[in-house]
Amino acid sequence: MSPVTAGLVAQPVLAVVAVLAAVLPRPRVRSVAAGTAAAALGLSGVVTGLMALLGDRGRLQIPVSLPVQLPLDPLVLAPDRLGGVFMVVAGGVGALAAIYGIGYAHGPAASRTGWTAFVVFLLGMQMVPAAADSVSFLLAWEVMAVGSSVLLLADHTARPQVRSAAVWYAGMTHLSFVLLLAGFAVLASSAGGTSFADPAGTSSAATSTAFVLLVLGFGTKAGLVPMHVWLPRAHPEAPSHVSAAMSAAMVKMGVYGVLLVVVRLLPAGPRWWAVLLLVLGAASALFGILQASVTSDLKRLLAYSTTENVGLMVTAVAVAMLLRDAGQDQVADIAWVAALLLVVSHAAFKTSLFMGAGSVLHGTGERDLDRMGGLGRAMPTTSAVFAVAAVGAAALPVSSGFVAEWTLLQSLIHGDGQVDRLVAVALPVTVAVVALTAGLALLTFVKAYGIAFLARPRSDGAANAHEASVSMRAAMAAGAAGVIALGLAPGPVASALGAAVGAEGIGTVGLLGLDLPAADALLDPVALLLLAAAVAVPVGVVQARLARRRPRRDVDLAWGCGGVRLSPRMQYTATSYAEPLVRVFDDALQPSRDVTVGHAEESRYLVQRVEFHQQLVDVVEERAYTPVVATLERLGTIARRIQNGSIHRYLAFSFGALVVVLLAVTW
Amino acid sequence: MVTVELGFIVAAQVAVAVLLTPVLVGVMRQVRARMEGRVGAGVAQPWRDVRKLLRKEPMRAAGSGPLLSATPLVLVVSSLLVCALVPLVGTPTMRLVPDDLFVVVSVLLVGTVALALLGLESGTAFGGMGSSRHMTIAGLVEPTVLVAVYALSIPVGTSALSAIVAARIDDPASVVSPVSLLAIVALVLVVLAETGRLPVDNPATHLELTMVHEAMVLESAGRDLGWLELGSWLRLTALLGLVVNLLLPWGVATEATAFAVLVGTAAVTAKVLLAGALVAAAEVFLAKVRLFRVPELLAGSFVLAFLAVTASYLVA
Amino acid sequence: MSDALFAQLVAATTGLLLLTAVLQVWRRSLHASIRLLAVQGAALAGLVATIGVADGELEVVAVSGLVLLIKAGALPWVLSRVARLTGATREDSPRLNPTAGVLLAAVLTMIAYAVSQPVVAADLGPEARAVPVGLALVLLGFLVLLSRRSALSQLIGFVVLDNGIATVAFLTAGGVPLVVELGVSLDVLLVVLILRVLTSRMQVATGGTDLDDLRELRD
Repeated sequence: MSPVTAGLVAQPVLAVVAVLAAVLPRPRVRSVAAGTAAAALGLSGVVTGLMALLGDRGRLQIPVSLPVQLPLDPLVLAPDRLGGVFMVVAGGVGALAAIYGIGYAHGPAASRTGWTAFVVFLLGMQMVPAAADSVSFLLAWEVMAVGSSVLLLADHTARPQVRSAAVWYAGMTHLSFVLLLAGFAVLASSAGGTSFADPAGTSSAATSTAFVLLVLGFGTKAGLVPMHVWLPRAHPEAPSHVSAAMSAAMVKMGVYGVLLVVVRLLPAGPRWWAVLLLVLGAASALFGILQASVTSDLKRLLAYSTTENVGLMVTAVAVAMLLRDAGQDQVADIAWVAALLLVVSHAAFKTSLFMGAGSVLHGTGERDLDRMGGLGRAMPTTSAVFAVAAVGAAALPVSSGFVAEWTLLQSLIHGDGQVDRLVAVALPVTVAVVALTAGLALLTFVKAYGIAFLARPRSDGAANAHEASVSMRAAMAAGAAGVIALGLAPGPVASALGAAVGAEGIGTVGLLGLDLPAADALLDPVALLLLAAAVAVPVGVVQARLARRRPRRDVDLAWGCGGVRLSPRMQYTATSYAEPLVRVFDDALQPSRDVTVGHAEESRYLVQRVEFHQQLVDVVEERAYTPVVATLERLGTIARRIQNGSIHRYLAFSFGALVVVLLAVTW
Repeated sequence: MVTVELGFIVAAQVAVAVLLTPVLVGVMRQVRARMEGRVGAGVAQPWRDVRKLLRKEPMRAAGSGPLLSATPLVLVVSSLLVCALVPLVGTPTMRLVPDDLFVVVSVLLVGTVALALLGLESGTAFGGMGSSRHMTIAGLVEPTVLVAVYALSIPVGTSALSAIVAARIDDPASVVSPVSLLAIVALVLVVLAETGRLPVDNPATHLELTMVHEAMVLESAGRDLGWLELGSWLRLTALLGLVVNLLLPWGVATEATAFAVLVGTAAVTAKVLLAGALVAAAEVFLAKVRLFRVPELLAGSFVLAFLAVTASYLVA
Repeated sequence: MSDALFAQLVAATTGLLLLTAVLQVWRRSLHASIRLLAVQGAALAGLVATIGVADGELEVVAVSGLVLLIKAGALPWVLSRVARLTGATREDSPRLNPTAGVLLAAVLTMIAYAVSQPVVAADLGPEARAVPVGLALVLLGFLVLLSRRSALSQLIGFVVLDNGIATVAFLTAGGVPLVVELGVSLDVLLVVLILRVLTSRMQVATGGTDLDDLRELRD
């Protein structure tokens, strides 16, 4: 038995152990037992995935026998290298979320159902990239969807918003499933089998239909605009360790699906496929980051940032397809690697960010950035972890996000636009989109970190904040360590990821640096850090000497240009921080503002109080979904007339159905 | 051996930048003062200011954290790193740390973010205001920077700055090609926005409500303020030096010999001071634009950069 | 004239044409617009002169002198007189916000380049490579016409449009006969003069030069 096969067998076994650990122990030790077992399940996924990524071939075949006469192929689990990458991501994120959950889960999330659903969710996620035929893929996909839906509902008795979020999530996730089912059905009928190894048929109408259906289905799961609407609802309402797993790992399965389609199932598609993906990706990146930059709910901000990152990944995939199509394989390879780097990097920093947001919620009871502030002093570990992860999300050196974005940009500027009109137009536009996204991401995460952790507390909850428990801190720190490690050693990581998509010429150079000979570019973060250290030494020496001579003096009040009555309410909030941006992107965001000025009784010229309300709604949701939902509701109301509770009417329906069936059969 | 020589150029660049920076700011202020009919404080005043500030004790208001003293150092180190990377004196670079423009831009952004966090840390209304404006501008500048870089990199096939400058020394005609001119005009606007010069931000303003850069450093005093001033001026030197070396690549050392470095130092000093004087002279005639018209300016410069790329792909 | 120099000159003049057109969309000050128009006219004249000298055709060089006279001299002069007369200094409320306008200008330019790619790809020499600039000028002129309200800005847009047409004509046809160019140029001058009169009448009648006010004539 090869290591991968052993891993594939071990995962369901560990899952059963974890479920038992969730069901059997007393409530006091349940979280510890179930969390540890779930972490073991996650780690087994990491190990199996790594083996698959390094080229080990394993296969697990489950014969299916149903008592009906249907030609069912056996279910096959056989992860390839690409699947291995995503299995590592799912397992790693799952393991961290499980460890975090030990300290974090409370109430319904720590119940038997809560932990069982978590284990099922985790197992489903780890099996999706292992599937080697569409039936087992869809099966694992549905297991993942069911597990996450139950988890999302955990808090539904305490907060009514949870129910609305769960309904949206369930609706979108089923939409995704239906689209995928249809897509795979079309594909299977054209290929003549459900296995991913079957070559797709040559009928272009069939493959194009399958492509569009699959991309829409996977895009819904991945949170691409305009199918993103469930993300900003579900992520904030789910327990934080679940949001971390959903955002950092589950949406990646959507990206995996897209890669599966364009790399493995339908590798030679027409050009407009790439254009479709490019448009979806670019729109998601811009829309996601724009919404993230103006929202002040911390978890909602992170959810929108996920849409942005997924958008960038899909953009990278689309660019790779375009360049592959234009015959520039070497540069296309860089774009493929960039897409995978983005996946891995996002998994690392978004897990840490969601766990950090969870700690803040846990320690202050606040999710609204406008009511936070000064948390750095009460929560030093959370603050440090959030800072590192935010550096990753803002793509600053030296972090995983920087490496990924740098690679993407290198692929973009080295594509030769002179050979081809479409490429010549697409590449500059993409550079601009990526750059604007990066710029706004910078603002978003400076805002998120600065408003939450710096300055003075803006509410009592923030003033009385307390640090997270040991298991939570350990999991967060591990996530942040991942962000830095990926940022410091991009060479080996990129080489391994390159093998997963068959990219050649991605090498390691210098001190674990990343070498892209095709682009004549290299990035060695360790060397960059060493150079920074070299110029930092003189500055440090001067600073130390000056500090010895003249120590810092503590004063009571900040100066504030003479504003002595400093109160925390005078500080900038997240909303005011984003105000200039809202004004700049007024047309795209369409905020509704309401200013009421109350005058003093003595004179109209004396202003007593000013009230300012600003409401930002998701434009896509309002324009595209509200009408559909309203129509469905109307139809539902009409359909209710069919049901009036009278038993005779129901009997009449059955009778009518019987007659129709009899007639249909005999005709 | 080669590494030693290259270290020599990098060290020379950092030293030149540190020594040149206060003079540059002094020259710019002096030019401006003279053109406005004032006597001016003399070219050496910024140097005296920094020395004085560095020797004074910094203050810390109750409730502010360690970022207050850390961010000025981060800013200075990031600015020095940019000076080390950008080809100011010479083009030979270290093999493992090439002066890739994307790397340079993100190192610059580290300084930008450090300043923004400092503004928020102070916990005053003005600090947050400056920080918010600063980040809005930085975020909107990014597309222009990267697209302009893209335009410059197309003819050379690499985003390494030294390669771009070296190619320009070899083929001076490429400097005046429309593509390069458009990209450089875009870059100049970006540099003005990034370093807080007119018409985006007025470095000499005393009106808190119009401040961007100054609002963020209001709460810093003594040593902290000294580092902050030096750090932001170094950014100006590095970026101005980069632009003049792209526009007038002559004199830049292409090999790591003592003579070439000497010539390179003299050339970059002369060019940067001249450019600084020109910028200062232009600023006399400019008014600060309203904050909400800055995006128009940036959109304009973005379009110039974008046209440069389009033109070089679709025409050349 | 060497080929390299010729290519450089064509690139420089067409680049200037494009740049002035984009700035035209960007700037709201009418004085700046008129100055830009003069520069644009001069660039067009330079382009024509370059082609004339390269082809050694005296007639084309003469046309360039005419272009310089009318487009860089007469037209801007007339327009600045209108501006002085009406007291208008800036386009106050364009229909399109300037940022969006500038970005749209980029998109239009890209479209111009994309659609004229076949002409460029045919590699007919440096002149053909500059055809997209002429097309872009036409599109940008239209953009100005659509997005501005005041009659004066409309005039400016119209002239930009005409410059675009002239650019394409010179670049592809290798020059227009003197008589035709004379006719067209005078035509444009005539249109501008008529509109100038119209503008001053509007100023008298409605107190402004906002073309939206013309709707009132229907009622």
